[in-house]
Amino acid sequence: MSSQDAERPSEQARRLSRRTMLRGAATAGAAGLAVTAIGSAASPAFAATTNQSQSHRAPQVAGPIMVHVRDAKSGDIEVFSGTSKTRLRDKDLAARIARAIG
Amino acid sequence: MSSHREAPEISKDPVADSTDVYAFVSPDKPDTVTLIANYIPLQEPSGGPNFYEFGDDVLYGIHIDNNGDGYPDISYEFRFSTQVLDENTFLYNTGPIEAINSPYFNRRQFYDLTVVYGDSHQTVGVNLACPPCNIGPLSTPNYNTVAGQAIHHLDHGIRVFAGQRAEAFYVDLGSIFDLGDLRPFENLHATFGLPGLAAKPGVNATNHLNVHSIAIQVPISSVTRHGHPSIGVWTTASRQSATVWDADHGEKVSSGPWRQVSRLGNPLVNELINPLGKKDLWNSLPPSDDKLFAEYVAHPGLAALLPTLYPGVFPNLAKLVAAGTARADLEAILLTGIPAGIVPGFTNFTGKVLADMLRLNTSIKPTPTAKQSIYGLLGGDAGGFPNGRRVTDDVVAIELRALAGVTYALVDKTYKPDAAAGELTDGLTPASVSSKTTGTFPYLGEPYSGYNDPS
Repeated sequence: MSSQDAERPSEQARRLSRRTMLRGAATAGAAGLAVTAIGSAASPAFAATTNQSQSHRAPQVAGPIMVHVRDAKSGDIEVFSGTSKTRLRDKDLAARIARAIG
Repeated sequence: MSSHREAPEISKDPVADSTDVYAFVSPDKPDTVTLIANYIPLQEPSGGPNFYEFGDDVLYGIHIDNNGDGYPDISYEFRFSTQVLDENTFLYNTGPIEAINSPYFNRRQFYDLTVVYGDSHQTVGVNLACPPCNIGPLSTPNYNTVAGQAIHHLDHGIRVFAGQRAEAFYVDLGSIFDLGDLRPFENLHATFGLPGLAAKPGVNATNHLNVHSIAIQVPISSVTRHGHPSIGVWTTASRQSATVWDADHGEKVSSGPWRQVSRLGNPLVNELINPLGKKDLWNSLPPSDDKLFAEYVAHPGLAALLPTLYPGVFPNLAKLVAAGTARADLEAILLTGIPAGIVPGFTNFTGKVLADMLRLNTSIKPTPTAKQSIYGLLGGDAGGFPNGRRVTDDVVAIELRALAGVTYALVDKTYKPDAAAGELTDGLTPASVSSKTTGTFPYLGEPYSGYNDPS
């Protein structure tokens, strides 16, 4: 077992079951953090992306996924999952997250 | 000190705050080396009902460099998890804990131990039990027996323990942080125009306080390369990059890559040598990057301050500082190890890479207790700091004396250290620690109980 496997299965299952789609905050033009999980209900602005991803057989990811919108204007986004981080440059996604939080 | 609350950010995160590292050839098992990393500083023993524990969300590591490049060749990684038997009580324990698997031990911790060799990970221990904190005669009546049950014997000749122990590091924090005052010498302090002080004995600020200790004992042959007995040792604590507070469930949730937030090799380096604005940066980097901080070792601020704080006491040190002389002695002690030919018959040199690591020449046999000097190599005892670090070594006095110029004479035979430099101390010895080292693994003394040692 790798030491990078941060959570035991039971813990992962417990957390998955209780996650709702979007928690936390992301603010336009400033850093923000959102928490999400695969397969949950979504706010309308975000649901389209989630459903679209599912229709393309998105990989199953255990544990929370956290999205850090570093700069909504430039679409600079970090996505944290497990023990990995992905850096995105997606103005459209950043704008939709910003709209989702009103 | 030696690294308790030493940097602004990590001082707010005690669960991940490394306090001391010890590395020594095990005196009772000299074919092994014992590595100890302490966390969670300055624990007041009665601090319940939620007594101290390791962070389930922290990755703790003890690392060994055996080829001198400042990168880990072997890492021992510890991940903790907490189990609560009864969440409907406020009690840490619901009756006397007389065995480590007692049903009365309500909130308990376990850990997995993984050995990392480069890209290879091998889990060598799973769900290893930690002992409880030492609470008092009703809750933990046979503490040493229960703590002994938390010593785990694993494959590959590994012994491991993780849990509360007595703080072994002795230091007069209250005096030293009062503008560099050393009580035995405070009659010589400049006092900034305030009324003078009379010399007094030191006060051990850490006595009757506890820490959480991770101790591992491994065969020397498993951590050294053939023909290269000197190793570099340090500890780290890491947290995942992203954390949010899950208000629905009243807990933090973390995700993302591990990022190092705490580091400790040689005692007092980040505490006394690195400047305030660089301490948390230093904590986040590997030893291989320590050339970034080498100027602070070569020109330590405390060495420059001593002649000012103690006017007329350190004239030769003052000249050395005024000349802008780089301290090659401190660079050797802290960043490369001491090359052969500097101290007769001794070396713990690991290579030219400047890296803060606690360097231990494992080929040097443990010094018999009766012949040990708490001043280690400065006291003619190659079994002690800076050749590794034993639990009883007086690293405060050793480093103060080194900073004051005693060791500069090793690299410049024309330099004459000031007489006071070789006498510097905060006035403490191992006798200042009430709970004595045990002499056997995990060596640190029985933790103080909240019942017997209230604040």
